[in-house]
Amino acid sequence: MSNAAVRKIKPSTASLNRFGPGTQAVFHCVLGLFALLCIVPFIFVIIISFTSEESIRQIGYSFRPLSWSVQAYTYTFQLGDQLWRSYFNSFLITVVGTFLSVLICFLYAYPLFRRDYGHRQFFNFLSFFTMIFGGGLVPTFVICKSVLGLSDNYAALIVPMLFSPFNVIIMRTFFQTSVPMELIEASTIDGSGEYGTLFRIVFPIVTPGIATIALLVSLGYWNEWFLSLLYVNKNMDIIPLQYLLMRMQRNADFLAKNSSMLGADAAKAAAQMPSQTLKMALVVFIVVPIACAYPFFQRYVVAGLTVGSVKG
Amino acid sequence: MKRFLSLLLTLMLVLGLCGFAQAESLPTITIMFHGSNVTDDSAVLEKVNEYIADKVGAKLEVIWGTWGDFDEKAANALTTGDSEVDMVFTCSWSADEFNTYAKNGFFEPLDEYMEKFGADLKAALPEALIQAATVEGPDGEKHIYAVNGFKDTATQNTWDINVTLLTELGYTLDDVRNLGFFGWGEIFAKAKELKGDSFYPFLVEPAVAERMVTNSIIVTGDSGSVNLLSYYLDPADVTKSDAKYGDVLLNKFATEEYAAFVKQMREYYLAGYIDPALAVAETSNDARTNAQKDGSYLIGTQSYAYGYEYSPEVISRGVEVVFEPCTDPYVDTTVSQGAMVAVSSASQHPEESFKFLALLNSDPYLMTLLNYGVEGVHYTLDENGLVVFTDERANYSPWTNGMGNVTLLPDTQAEGAGFREAFKNFYASGKAVPILGFIFNNEPVANEMAALTNVAAQYALALNSGAVDPETELPKFLEALTAAGMDAYLAEANAQLNAFLGK
Repeated sequence: MSNAAVRKIKPSTASLNRFGPGTQAVFHCVLGLFALLCIVPFIFVIIISFTSEESIRQIGYSFRPLSWSVQAYTYTFQLGDQLWRSYFNSFLITVVGTFLSVLICFLYAYPLFRRDYGHRQFFNFLSFFTMIFGGGLVPTFVICKSVLGLSDNYAALIVPMLFSPFNVIIMRTFFQTSVPMELIEASTIDGSGEYGTLFRIVFPIVTPGIATIALLVSLGYWNEWFLSLLYVNKNMDIIPLQYLLMRMQRNADFLAKNSSMLGADAAKAAAQMPSQTLKMALVVFIVVPIACAYPFFQRYVVAGLTVGSVKG
Repeated sequence: MKRFLSLLLTLMLVLGLCGFAQAESLPTITIMFHGSNVTDDSAVLEKVNEYIADKVGAKLEVIWGTWGDFDEKAANALTTGDSEVDMVFTCSWSADEFNTYAKNGFFEPLDEYMEKFGADLKAALPEALIQAATVEGPDGEKHIYAVNGFKDTATQNTWDINVTLLTELGYTLDDVRNLGFFGWGEIFAKAKELKGDSFYPFLVEPAVAERMVTNSIIVTGDSGSVNLLSYYLDPADVTKSDAKYGDVLLNKFATEEYAAFVKQMREYYLAGYIDPALAVAETSNDARTNAQKDGSYLIGTQSYAYGYEYSPEVISRGVEVVFEPCTDPYVDTTVSQGAMVAVSSASQHPEESFKFLALLNSDPYLMTLLNYGVEGVHYTLDENGLVVFTDERANYSPWTNGMGNVTLLPDTQAEGAGFREAFKNFYASGKAVPILGFIFNNEPVANEMAALTNVAAQYALALNSGAVDPETELPKFLEALTAAGMDAYLAEANAQLNAFLGK
């Protein structure tokens, strides 16, 4: 292809991809509005966390509170042990859980993609089946608690979420679209063993896919609180920050729902409740790390989206 | 080889079990409480276990359920037959769980244990409370299914009146009594004038206000989240039903009393006497608590417990508060099943569990220890022998009323000497409503109840708080209820009530 030909094609494709200034403006507005919708609630949460209790009592939540205060944060820091331990737990559960879960997903999806693997259909079905038919809460609870002994330990907060058929399917599809069988055959001919092929040839190609799965899984682990509710009864040292926050929220909800029945007890309990600003401060604590982690994953996710589509 | 291997495995299993049994000389019993705020129970449990080792012959562990997670945890433990949970708190006010669980066989019948080990317990509890915990089991017979807590076992709804503000406005308590709910408009208007536009004088919990104004009571077994049934009491004598209706369960929303109530609420709402936040389920409790905290209301509703006016929550409002009762305290089924502890049928140590519950509910030392903590750590005694809580109490605050017989507790400094004695007498005077003991078994009309609850959730709060116009919305509401099967629901409820009353 000569230089002239390139020059000839370039303007036409460029104009094909370019929108008129009016359309551009509309697109910017729509996307800008969407971005705003995403960011405003979070900004609101931050503002509330810095609002004084007095102001909330008088005018409720507001973007322009009557007075500011860092009381919620000073109180959070006074929560001391429990807060930092829970914060640490959140990180620990997320990191360990994500690593194991991605590893399992990667190792499960790879054979499913290999057409030369005989029991492909069966294992495909085995994982897919659980996507449609779940065991339900009670049997799951019995298996986890009585059979697997997942109770009051970190494993209880990690193991139940280790395997996700949905992620396996994403991963398998990713293998199918980005790893040519010829590559695997070639490496086998060159003397690479199965594990060598998997980790030295295939793994580098599918890192965008792995990053996508890792993002999904880590978000799942980071936001998880229900497992703590189910499996943590006595050992409150292992609960993650999310459960700490959810517990406050659920306590408030329960009291609101049953206040007429509980009467004076509800009023007493409500008086002990942490303040609104404290809850928002905890939300900030929860959101900030994951928001900071996202840009790092994002690079891979965007790469992953495009890797699949530029072929041909 | 195979046979040898299986023999070896069997041997290992047997030996393992023996070793296990030897290591655990005392069985562990676990109790799950509701509404706790406990982060460190080690000091308390150490003392408790020292104390109960001989008396009960077991070691206690506690799962400190909180308000928000208890229902789910308890349901899981019971329905999955978790043998690690021996005893659970139970009651009938949040989802009628006590009667349902008992009927479905999740609780251990305690009659036999009561005979053998319950002498002290029987002496400590009023007979009526034991009766209230005696309900139908899976075999259709009545058994004792829980140890009922002796607490504020009578309901009394009161108007919570800010006397400081009332006096400032130039009114007296007598004026409030004489004018009554339908005549408070002029007082509210004055309060609004004095305090400005953002002040809402009428701080109601709409559902409670409805019961107070119409003198209706909760029917146990009725839909828990939004009550659908009313039983009208004679406000002058709570042991009688309202003369106009008699012993009958009514569609709460179809009576003329209800229509008059919502009409008046609408008037107050439109005049700006009621905070719009009270009309939204999600915000109502926060709004109410906040307004109560600094006493920025004139008249509110409060389901009363004896001594509430002396509690720190009320004193810290900074205004003089009077709780003006609507009726005498009355005992209904719901309140008589307000806080109990049952033994799970999955428990492997029901005998030890019962012994523990019997001891907890009859022994002041154990009750005080488990409820108030360790003397010298969580509380100290002042020169009059009254309890003064230390800062450690923040790490150990179980729900006092959820634990059992609170009449065993010593008086605290905040309550004053003689409080528990007076408390006991106050509740001993509670009068039984005519339908005490009636539990509506909603199973035959479960579908209707679900549909009706959905309809009621849509309309009831908005109507009760005056946020919508009853002129247009109440007829729509009633129509929707009829369409959802209110007639069948009512018929079933009344048939059961008639059978209960022996008519």
